[in-house]
Amino acid sequence: MKRLTALLATAAPLLALAACSRSAEPPTQFGFNPKLPAPKQFLLPPMGIANPVGWDRTGAGAAPTVPPGFMVQAFAKGLNSPRNVLALPNGDLIVASSGGPNMEPNLRPKSFIFQWLMNTSHGGERGAAAGENTLILLRDTNHDGVADQTVVLAKDLPSPFGLAWANGTLYVGMTDSVWRYPYAPGQTALGPGSLVTDLPGGPIDHHWTKSITLSPDGSKLYAGVGSNSNIVENGLEAEHGRAMIWEVDPATGAKREFATGLRNPNGLTFYPGTQTLYAVVNERDELGNNLVPDYLTSVRPGAFYGWPWSWYGRNVDVRVHPQRPDMVAKAVIPDYSLSTHVAPLSIAFLKGGTFPAHYQGGAFIGEHGSWDRNVLNGYQVAFVPFVNGRPTGTPETFLGGFTTGKGRDVHGRPVGLAFGPDGALYVADDAGNTVWRVSWTGKGGT
Amino acid sequence: MDRHVFRPRIAVGGVPIHAMLVPFPIVCFTGALLTDLAYAASAEVQWTNFSQWLLLFGTLFAGLAALFGLIDLFSVPSERRPAIGLWHMGLNLVLFVVAFINNLVHARDGWTSVVPTGLTLSIITVLLLIVSGHLGHRLAYRHVVRDRTDDPARTPEEDRP
Repeated sequence: MKRLTALLATAAPLLALAACSRSAEPPTQFGFNPKLPAPKQFLLPPMGIANPVGWDRTGAGAAPTVPPGFMVQAFAKGLNSPRNVLALPNGDLIVASSGGPNMEPNLRPKSFIFQWLMNTSHGGERGAAAGENTLILLRDTNHDGVADQTVVLAKDLPSPFGLAWANGTLYVGMTDSVWRYPYAPGQTALGPGSLVTDLPGGPIDHHWTKSITLSPDGSKLYAGVGSNSNIVENGLEAEHGRAMIWEVDPATGAKREFATGLRNPNGLTFYPGTQTLYAVVNERDELGNNLVPDYLTSVRPGAFYGWPWSWYGRNVDVRVHPQRPDMVAKAVIPDYSLSTHVAPLSIAFLKGGTFPAHYQGGAFIGEHGSWDRNVLNGYQVAFVPFVNGRPTGTPETFLGGFTTGKGRDVHGRPVGLAFGPDGALYVADDAGNTVWRVSWTGKGGT
Repeated sequence: MDRHVFRPRIAVGGVPIHAMLVPFPIVCFTGALLTDLAYAASAEVQWTNFSQWLLLFGTLFAGLAALFGLIDLFSVPSERRPAIGLWHMGLNLVLFVVAFINNLVHARDGWTSVVPTGLTLSIITVLLLIVSGHLGHRLAYRHVVRDRTDDPARTPEEDRP
């Protein structure tokens, strides 16, 4: 009977919550010490699934917005779900155009519903998933800010995402491995590659993007591997080698765990001129509109960041059983909150180049955008100022206008970022099937 | 006419469709309680997955059974409609709502898909099943079976569908 009263006491407010949690307060959860509300458990979690409509629906030439003094151009349009960009020293871009591996089995009624909902929010997902997982070379021979040569370097790769280049070698982070290809800038064909190391891929492969980067001296390679679930609902045994950043010796393929407890780490990038690795991390869902904030953090070697047992330090997640107080006690608090569910997937640090002083030393973050929120959040390239090599203040919208303001229609969704040798910022927009080029005109603004 | 006469309207070969469908939710909801208990005891994810499918099909078949039950109940004139049938209906309506909510609770990720709310709702569902099932059987045996044997005015032919 006690059980029954307890249940009725929980069920009634839950129902009320599900019914009236339409309006979410605007996120004020930026920086070092984000305000963390109490976690909630829902009958229906807050949801707002974006509906990509492309850029040409509102007339040709529609483009994201930039701060005064900047110019945005469609560097390449009509691509198929471009996820990531790599700028080469000669100004060419390599684009990873990819879809998820689609090997997640529908083990529960919920996964059928989620699969259907999520497929609607990725413009090119189905086309790409059908086998078009390519690396594309984009070249702007006349330097007008629009690519005039497009070459397919490789196709039918296993969901390529991570890209890195150094000393005549191109590294590609596939969903199940890292591969190396001999490649000199200027080449318009890619020879056969070779395996560097395996990474956890299938089965399931829930978070499939493998972000990679090289240490400043090129001697080590780092690969981010996301979790195989939201919060271990596929069992802890499905998480071996996941939710962590691996340190790989590119010469031998030997690897070790570099940092763990990172639910879905992406955007692996060293801060220019330092040995400090940064990553952006997608935190867990279904605890509320304003939980848990995604974050930008420097990654301390050997550190544990909480997933799955806790978030933001020692906030215990009751959905994980058995609990592990010993692991919760070890959990490190990340550096900088980007606010909730923005889905950050990339970092580009600015050092030098052509942008004004305001942006020097700061981080540009590609925010793919939320689904676990009544009000859309993210859907922009954010700028996080750095002072003394540390993220500071609140993020600014650098590249905006991805949302249309009409319901949940969005033009596109930004993912990968790269600064070219020309000083321009290149942005992969997967749902918009475009690579954008943002350059400083030197006139007005900041 | 005997005030007890109550015959199901929709039947196949003399067996009401409602009676053919009710075993599905009974088995599914009872099974879901067992798999919930197994999950609570082991934290093995596959048990909560089983619970979720059992709850889904239990709820679907409960809805289908309810549809035929309602037709049977409301196709007889109200003066001949047994009160026990209305109790059976009311309890099952509560059961259906509880089971529906339980589907949503089980759609959560991880431990709290079952413990404590999901398991509690599964226990309540099965308790309601026992009471409403008992009422349903009394309805069938007292008001249908007995009427067929006790009514001297009826010939055996009339009992055929």
